[in-house]
Amino acid sequence: MTTDFLATIKRRVVIFDGGMGSMLIAAGLTQREVPEQWLLTKADKIGEIQEAYVNAGAEVITTSTFGANRLKLQSSEAGRKLDPARLNEKGAEIARKAIERSGKHDRFVAGDIGPSGLFFPPVGQLKAAEARAAFKEQAKALENAGVDIFIIETMYDLREAVEALRAVREVSSLPAAVTLTFDRKPRGFFTMMGDTTDTAAETLIAEGASVIGANCTLQSGDMIELAQEFRLSTAAPLLMQPNAGRPVMEHGLPVYKQRPREFAEDAAKIVAAGANAVGGCCGTTPDFIREIHNVLIHGK
Amino acid sequence: MEAYLARCAQSVLSGDADEAERLAREALDKKYPPLDVIEKGFVIGIHEVGRLWEEGTLFLPELVMGAEAMKRAMAILQPSLGEGAARPKSLGHVVIGTIEGDIHDIGKTLVATMLSANGYEITDLGADVPVARFVDEAMKRGAGCIAISALLTTTMSGQKRVVEELGKRSLRGKVKVMVGGAPCSDAWAREIGADGYAGDAVAAVALAQSLMGGR
Repeated sequence: MTTDFLATIKRRVVIFDGGMGSMLIAAGLTQREVPEQWLLTKADKIGEIQEAYVNAGAEVITTSTFGANRLKLQSSEAGRKLDPARLNEKGAEIARKAIERSGKHDRFVAGDIGPSGLFFPPVGQLKAAEARAAFKEQAKALENAGVDIFIIETMYDLREAVEALRAVREVSSLPAAVTLTFDRKPRGFFTMMGDTTDTAAETLIAEGASVIGANCTLQSGDMIELAQEFRLSTAAPLLMQPNAGRPVMEHGLPVYKQRPREFAEDAAKIVAAGANAVGGCCGTTPDFIREIHNVLIHGK
Repeated sequence: MEAYLARCAQSVLSGDADEAERLAREALDKKYPPLDVIEKGFVIGIHEVGRLWEEGTLFLPELVMGAEAMKRAMAILQPSLGEGAARPKSLGHVVIGTIEGDIHDIGKTLVATMLSANGYEITDLGADVPVARFVDEAMKRGAGCIAISALLTTTMSGQKRVVEELGKRSLRGKVKVMVGGAPCSDAWAREIGADGYAGDAVAAVALAQSLMGGR
């Protein structure tokens, strides 16, 4: 990586990658496995997916470390046997190699940090210090392994996003993108805990986020409006990563019905609404990213 | 009495479990009819919590706290409900759990809490529950409904197997099945022959009411 990520995103629209979990499921990941285990046992599969994203035009490749924090891993028997630091280092290495194989060296590796899966009171018993320590362990391993930026994503509670962000800030001065996951309610867009785009933007920027936004839960159509709302809340760079619609079951397998073209046309509208970066979440594939590239870069 | 009932509703609405408990004890001390206190007081509160949650005025923390306040009040009032006419007709028993292979607990627990707060008897089997166990427990408890949560596209087929298991034991007409969880939908419920889908805890209460009757 020779280009500066923040300078780039302030200058023009940056294309992120698409879903990893749903791609892993398509590649044979079962519900009995911890996805992060594949970092050790099936690194080639993860690398192939990431290389496909690079070739489709994704400029930011996200490490497959969404659940590689100690708290999340402790929720399953298989996860308890895994060393978080090792998983994160491996995740960064696999992503970096995928970029190298593609020969496109101007791409960024984003160290991925997902939620702990636990809840702060009154819903659960998670403590801020406990969350911070787990995220710090993860952030440190990603930083050591040489990621270019951090992405803290799918956060359903602003407080947890803040703990993850503080953890990153304690160990790194790299740019950090933070995306929350919003529901659509009759009164507007809110996280599960009631956080709005206003409070999210104000809090996350004050805590040192470089890019903020939303991912998962919502489909591309809803994210157009959410991008508009976010843009009214902040002047900071915005990243939006919608799902490819809602999955429907066909012959016992989940199928995402939205087509890449329709998704990419919405992505263009998300950019028009003020987003500085777009990518995809669950159900999106390299084809979706290629279409975004076609629509945004080539205008066709 | 009116003002007292309004305070009961308010204690649930503001998620003040200590106040709800105190008000429930006051009802026993002053010999207020417990059924009225529940139905014209606390239940009004929990319905309002649900309504405000659906529209996006209250959120998960308030929903959890409101349900907890409701549960604390009910725990005190329930034993004092007499038999016969004074006792509210049983709304029925729901056996609930997250399907096998799936450890997601929070949505299911929330549905269980809201159903309980709205007057259903609940057996919560937890997460990662084998197909046969849903049916075994429903038979054991004489449950009118099985509620199955699945948060993964890879585990939702287990919901279908519960419906099939009921069929094998000729219980399909007797025990209703409701499904929920992120990947589920009305279409999915129809496809597998379940009686309904609920998208959230408030919708689950409405669904239970339509399937089993309710207040």
